[in-house]
This record gives sequence, structure tokens and C-alpha cells, in this order.
Amino acid sequence: MTVTPVQSVSRRLAALAALLAVAAFADRAAPAAAQSPGAAAQPPTAEDVYAAARPRLLQIRTIVEAAGRQFVIGSGFLVSADGLAITNYHVVSQYALEPKTYRLEYAMADGTTGKLALLAIDVADDLAVVRLDRHDTPFFAFSKRAVDGAMPKGEHLYSMGNPLDLGFTIVDGTYNGPVERTYNQRIHFSGALNPGMSGGPTVTPDGAVVGINVAHQIGGELVSFLVPAKFAVALLAKHAEDGEAPPPNFTAEIGRQFQEWQDGLYRSFDGLGFRPIALGRYEAPESAAPWFQCWGRTNVDLVPKPRAIVDGTMCSSDTQLFIANDLVTGLIHLTHTYVKSDTLNQFQFAAFLSQQVQVGFPGGWSRKWQTRQRCSEGFVKASSEGARPTLRTVWCARAYRAFPGLYDVTLSAVTQDSGSDALVSQLAMQGVLYDNAVAIGKRFIEDVQWIK
Amino acid sequence: MDQVIWVEVLSRHRTVQSRHRCTGPEIRIGRAYTNDVIVDDPFVAPEHARLSCDAEGRVVVTDLGTANGLHAAHSRQRSDRLALGDDGVFRIGHTYLRVRDTAHAVAPERQFAHRAGSWVAIAVLAVAVLAFEAASLWLGDYSEPRVSTYMVPLLGGSIMVGLWSGMWSIVSRIFFGTARFEQNLLIALGGALGFEMVGALSSLGAFGLSWSTLVGYNFVGLFGVVAAICFIHLRQINPARSALAASVVSGIFLGAVAIQMLMQSDARPVASQLYVRNLLPPSLRLAPVANEASFFSGVEKLRGQLDEDRAKEP
Repeated sequence: MTVTPVQSVSRRLAALAALLAVAAFADRAAPAAAQSPGAAAQPPTAEDVYAAARPRLLQIRTIVEAAGRQFVIGSGFLVSADGLAITNYHVVSQYALEPKTYRLEYAMADGTTGKLALLAIDVADDLAVVRLDRHDTPFFAFSKRAVDGAMPKGEHLYSMGNPLDLGFTIVDGTYNGPVERTYNQRIHFSGALNPGMSGGPTVTPDGAVVGINVAHQIGGELVSFLVPAKFAVALLAKHAEDGEAPPPNFTAEIGRQFQEWQDGLYRSFDGLGFRPIALGRYEAPESAAPWFQCWGRTNVDLVPKPRAIVDGTMCSSDTQLFIANDLVTGLIHLTHTYVKSDTLNQFQFAAFLSQQVQVGFPGGWSRKWQTRQRCSEGFVKASSEGARPTLRTVWCARAYRAFPGLYDVTLSAVTQDSGSDALVSQLAMQGVLYDNAVAIGKRFIEDVQWIK
Repeated sequence: MDQVIWVEVLSRHRTVQSRHRCTGPEIRIGRAYTNDVIVDDPFVAPEHARLSCDAEGRVVVTDLGTANGLHAAHSRQRSDRLALGDDGVFRIGHTYLRVRDTAHAVAPERQFAHRAGSWVAIAVLAVAVLAFEAASLWLGDYSEPRVSTYMVPLLGGSIMVGLWSGMWSIVSRIFFGTARFEQNLLIALGGALGFEMVGALSSLGAFGLSWSTLVGYNFVGLFGVVAAICFIHLRQINPARSALAASVVSGIFLGAVAIQMLMQSDARPVASQLYVRNLLPPSLRLAPVANEASFFSGVEKLRGQLDEDRAKEP
């Protein structure tokens, strides 16, 4: 029932493609595939698109240095004549985090292979710029219409890459506009993206890049996602501005971008504000941000009939951030549960309520990435005036080892004004600056109140 | 030494194995059948010692020239001649002997009523333990009411208490001759009540004060109850060695607490130590309600601890 977008890379396979020069835009008048015969007269066919794209496509491999074998594979595409290429950050993340253990390698459709240098990354948009040890390569152009956001839904697109290490492949599909209700902008592409195609280009029939293959929906059919081309254009422009030298330490750079991304996220989260929802005799805050998916839950249909009624809402943000193969973070969970019983005594009701309060972090615990959690708890009343109930509040947090300043935080609050009904509210925030978590936490606690 | 005296051969646990009524100017002790008191101990000489009275009327033991000699009750030093103290105990070979005269005072007669009283106490205590346990099961039960929810723990607990007291009775019977099942049962029931109280008080305190350490470390209280009842069992079996029992039991208790703490600090902290899991009715809150600022100052303190954790190796 729950729709969870999942990185298309199943563990080891990522997709790759080749991009175009920094400032070059293709438009309808000057398509990249214009050289193919008959391009001016008839719309290009898939054969034409692939024939033009073939020398511009890359497979990108992360090799375990000590073993000399591939560990992650994806795709990429050339974007300049002097060997610059674009791929997904998640295709090269392993190398970026552990440059001593891994190295990067590319393979082209004609079988040539060579070394790749990682130059720049954009963690939030899942992009990376790499350089091949080659010059005078043909390359892809970006679609100006796509960068300007002027593409119509339903336009025919072709996606390329090397799925499952089977060889370069062209897949056709349909442009379905930006994904709604997501924080990280993605294009909804109705076509079959498979693991290994991450980082590959999705192009218009005239060969201009619209987006970069990034993910597909597990549990969906042909529901795939692209990173909009404008982010690749921006990353290339920024790289051109910063100069050729890569950041000295990619882990620090990832931490910096992670912080920047979450700061933007929480500014937006806080800025969009909360709207009150009524649950029993309480009013609880629910985020007004459009990138939350909310579901309701109830236990009234259970057999045997439960002795306390549980009704609630669960909201999850669509704000995942891929950091490493074993670290996907950035989620915000917000749940409110109203529990009421007419048959249980106060002790039994409290025991039932204990089962409803589960303080835990989404995604479990990895000793590699996070410290152990610590908790602080107490009875809190947000302010003496107004209709605020006393709350039993538990705040648990753990720190990210590699990224100073970032934490996972959960906050749970149980109203303490009655022995036979209660509101259980929980807020979980992954990968958040402590100050942002405290600010949201205060607001969250203040907004729980009685309905008069 | 014209008056009658009693020479008692003691077991290793200082209980009386045999008593010999003796009169006459001197009493001879040894393994041979020529003696007044025969001691079956291979480390005792056929003619080992002689009891007599000195000028002040005290009983004096004299060594008759043996290889292993004669010792005061708790001494390693051998003596040729020993004036007996108030307890009248001395040792030859591996055997302790005690001399008492007819004037020695004995405890008054114990009445049968006392035994009946102990069964009344057992019944009262057993009802209290079962009621306490049943009540705490009932107060924590929010599912469909089922007899098994109550019967299984109550029966299991009763069997545990029975086995525990039975075990102590067997120990008592083997080493000290009497089983004293009622007393052991009484002690075990007291322990069971103590166990339940520790559990209830720790969860009450933890919720009321928002102090999860009370739950995480309630094993100290539980171990303490076990140690206390072990000590009481030992003391009622042999009151003479109370001090030894107390030191052994507290040593084991401290060792067990130390090992458990070490295991907890090595293991990943369990959720029960991180925060209070079991909620109770809001009216049982003991701590004052904090305002938002004071709660979040605790939250800020947590950040400092987490940053210290981060600096440490994983």
C-alpha cells in the first residue's frame, strides 16, 4: 500500500550515460542526431537515436582496487569534446567515500576502457561529473526545452544505458512531467529503467538530453524517474567556474552538501508550516508541505475486537537522500495516534498505550554510520496558558559519525491528561542539524492541544 | 572432679554427635576401649587426653604425650595443658569436644503452637504473594481475558517457590539433620513478595520520575532480594555461622552485580535503559511538569554527549 520510491540501483548495479558540453544546448532546430540521414524530413527512429548516441555512451564501473573486479556498475554519457561525462552520484558514491579502496573505470560501446577521474558531485540531485582520459569525443547536448521546463506530457523519449551489465540498450518511453509531492525534483518517465542504467541519458528523438536515469519504482510497472537536465547543466557550469581540481576530500564535500540540502529542506518544512488536524478531543499538527504522503490507520476492524480504539495518521516525506549503498537518509515521519478505551482501567490503558509508543529510527541502526542513540525524557507542558495538555516526552538522537553536525532524531509525546484516552504523537527526522530538529520539535510540542 | 559433667563429641558443624555422662576424679579420652569417652577419629591417639579439675575448680585438659596434640577451639597452637574457657570446646585430632556441667542453662521448651503459627503465616504470605502477582498481571492485561494469562505465571511461580524451599530443606536435612520446610517456605515466600515489590516499585519510580535507570538497573534490587533470602536460609539452618554466611552471600551478590553491570556496559544499550517504556496512569506522575525550556536544555545536553560519542572509535 505504501509507495516508497527506491533507488533503482539494486545494490550493486547503477546505470550510466554520456552528457553534453557545458554550455551547449540542443533544440529542435539543431538536434544532436541531425547527422542521421533523413532527420530533417522524418522523425528519427530508435535506430537513428541509438546510432548517434552509441559513441557517446559509457558504462561506469567502480573497481575494488585490491581485487581488480567491479563492485558497482552504472552508466554515464559524454557532455564535452574534451572528455567530461555525467553520471549519477550513487554510481560513484563508493569511490567518493573510499577513494583508497576503489577506483573508477569506463567502458564504451566499442569495447575501449580507461580510467575515470571524479571531478564534482551533487549529492542532492544525485549527479557527478567525471573525466575520461580521451579527447575529441562526440558528446550529447541538453534539451533546451527540458531545461526551460517547456516539455509537454506524453512526449516520446528514449533512455539508454547498460542494464544489468547486458550491454548498451535503448528503451523507449514517455515524458510524464515532474513528479508531484516530492522534495527532490524528479521527472516521471514511463519506461523500463533497470539497475545498471543509472546515470544514463534519456533523450528526445532528436538526441537532446532531457534527464538522467536515476530510479525506478519497486512495486510499480514502468514507473521510472529521471534527474532533470537542468541540474546537470548547473553542475557543469559550477564545475567550469570552480576549475578542474576536485574537492580535496569528497567525504567532507558530501557532508557539506548533505547539510546544505537538509538546511533547505527544513527551511521549507518550517516555512510551509503545520495545519491542525482533529483526533478525538485533541488537535495535532500535520505538515502543510506538499511532499508528505499521509495515510490513515485504524484498528476497529480487528478480530477479536480490541479493548481500545486506535485511530491515527501516518505521514512520510518524499525526501530521501542517497549517501552510500548502505546509507539512505533524509526522511521525516510524522504520526499521530488517538487511543481511547471505555473498558480498560487506567493501568490497563497505560499498558496498552505503551505498545503504541515505539521510539525508533526508520531504517535501523548501522554502527558504521551512526553513534548509539541517547534519550532524554520528561513531563512537559509547552506553556501554562491555553489548552495545552501535559505531555510525556521522549527525545532520542544519534549522531552521524562521518558527517559532523548531522543527527537522526525522534521525538514522541503522549498526552497525560486522562486515564482513558490519549494522543500519541511521534516525529522522526533523519539526517538533520540539531538546531533545526530542536526548532521543529518545539513547534511540534507546542501545537498539540485540546479542542474546547 | 566429683560432680557430673557431660563430654560432647561435636560434628564439623558444631552440632552434637554424641554425649557422654562422666563422673570421677579424672576422665580419659581416646580411641581405645579403656577410655571413658571413645572418639572414632584416626588422628586421635588410643590414650589421648585427660580431663581433671585444677585448684580453682576449672576443668583442665592434659595431653597424654600424643603425636597430634591438643588444641584450643580455634587455635593452631598445640598445648600440653589447657584450661577450658566458657564455651568448653577443645580439639583433638580432627574432632571437637565440648565439656558442660549440669548447671549449664538450656533454652526453654518450645511450644507446638508455634508450628501452627508458622503455617498461618505461610498461608497469609502465600495469599499476599499470589494476590500481588495476580493484580499486577490483571493491571497489565489489555487483551482478551484468558484464564491461562493468570494461571500459567501463578502456577509457575508457585512451583518455583516450592522447589526453592524444597531445595533448602534438603540442604538443611543433609547437613544439619532437620528439613525445617515451613521456615524455608516462609523465607521463600517473603523473597517472592520482595521480588514483586522491587519490580513494581522500580516501574512506578521510573515512570513517576521519568528515570529509566531505575528499570535498567532494577537487577540490583532483584539480586539483593535473592542474596537476602539466601542469607536468611543459611542463618536459620545454622545460626552459629551467620557472619560467614553474610560475608559469602554479600560477596556473591557484589560479584553478580559487577558482572551484570559489565555485561550491560559492553552490550548495546537495550531500549529499557534508554527511556521508560512502560507507561502508568498519569496520576502516578511524581516529578513536577517541566516547562519547554528546561526540557530542551536537557535535549541540548544530549547533543554534547553525542558529539563525544562521535569522537570515540566505533
